[in-house]
Amino acid sequence: MKRLLKISLLLLVAFFISEAVFAQDDEDFDKEDPVEELAKEVNSLKPGLSRFLMRGYAHAGVEFLQNSATFVGGSFNPIFLWQQSKRLLFESELELELTETGTELGLDYADMSYFLNDYMTIRLGKFLLPFGTFGERLHPRWINRLPSNPLGFTHSGQVGPLSDLGVEIRGAFHMTRSAWINYSIYVVNGPRLNDGGDEPEEGGKLHYNNYIDNNKAKTFGGRIGILPLNNSSLEIGFSGQFGKVGSSDTKYEDVGSQLYALDLSYVTRLDFMKSMLDIKGQWNRVKVDQASYPNPEDAAQSYSFENVSDAYYAQLSIKPAFVDNSFFNKLEFVGRYSKLELPTEAVWGGEDTQITVGINYWLDFRTVIKFAYQTLDSNGTEDGHNSLAQGDAFLVHWSIGF
Amino acid sequence: MKSKKYIINLAFGITFASVLFVVGCSSSKDVAVAKSGAQLWGENCVRCHNAPSPTAFSDYQWETIGQHMRIRANLTAMETDKIVDFLKMAN
Repeated sequence: MKRLLKISLLLLVAFFISEAVFAQDDEDFDKEDPVEELAKEVNSLKPGLSRFLMRGYAHAGVEFLQNSATFVGGSFNPIFLWQQSKRLLFESELELELTETGTELGLDYADMSYFLNDYMTIRLGKFLLPFGTFGERLHPRWINRLPSNPLGFTHSGQVGPLSDLGVEIRGAFHMTRSAWINYSIYVVNGPRLNDGGDEPEEGGKLHYNNYIDNNKAKTFGGRIGILPLNNSSLEIGFSGQFGKVGSSDTKYEDVGSQLYALDLSYVTRLDFMKSMLDIKGQWNRVKVDQASYPNPEDAAQSYSFENVSDAYYAQLSIKPAFVDNSFFNKLEFVGRYSKLELPTEAVWGGEDTQITVGINYWLDFRTVIKFAYQTLDSNGTEDGHNSLAQGDAFLVHWSIGF
Repeated sequence: MKSKKYIINLAFGITFASVLFVVGCSSSKDVAVAKSGAQLWGENCVRCHNAPSPTAFSDYQWETIGQHMRIRANLTAMETDKIVDFLKMAN
């Protein structure tokens, strides 16, 4: 009996010991190599081929006008990028802005791009038009060197399109060892002619947000940019857009439009000033075929005029980025001359001249505080600029790209 | 008559672009190969805005941004790849 008890006791001890040993082994087995654990963690964070990214820009400011001083802006432009694969990209930009009537939400663009080959991409949707460069490349607030836009390069008082719905083929290639060319050809809905039926004071104007086409004819356009220097510092661009603008089944259905733009960009280092020099310019011309519109002063009469509008600007900025002083190398000095010429015989016609000079302080490569003094010599046109300023004004804006 | 004019303009534009494209592709690779990613980054970004800091975004974010900027700045695939590779290496 005693022997049996001893054997039982020994077996019990052996069982507990073995349990303890195996438990230890299990713990050792569960404990993984720290390098492998880290690799697993990194892999869990690694995105797949489909990637989503939000970028964008924002701005706010204060404007000292002739009769008032007001805070402005508070705008926020998120840009959504969805990379479906190495060849397919979706991009979209929203614009949330405070206006006099409340918060305004706009869709600047929403398009899909497919890279056909190394030198050619096809885009479909609502996209920024390569009509010159300001609307497509330079309008974001953190890129635009001044708080306001040039006359005629805004949503209001616009001369030339900013965006449209359609399809585009674009790309770039080197023509010689030093010169390269970028190109774009597109087909879009095109602008719509205001025939003055509902708004006689607007007769003859083009409206560019023609999201549902008013006729069967499509509008064709394109741009060729030439960069003749080996360091890509100079770019000269030629743009054109042609199409009918009148509504179907009206007497205006054969009225066409011819739009042209010439743009220039020159960015170079000035070693003797330890600075970067940036020159930008663009000239837009919009020509609409001759037509008669209701006379706003006498509804029974009609009137016609030579329907040609021009808007142009020239801008120069110098940034002493290479001086040793950490305050001065963040400054930038800017000057811009801008002019808007609308048909003088039209009731909405006239001529505006704007001169803006400014000093920017760059907190980093994408955050800037802009101080600018602006004069506006207006001769009859409507507001053609983003600022509230109708005369001389002092503008202070803060902009960030993210 | 005007439609005919538009068609002629369009045909001329397409022909012109095609000739430039064919001529250009023959030398595109040679030129792009000659420049480094850092050089292309320094030359092309500043045409519109300040050159971004490589540390501003992660490797995967640079790849998506590279695609976006290839369209916006009209770059070739090789130039885009070299700039993105430089930014990924330097961040």
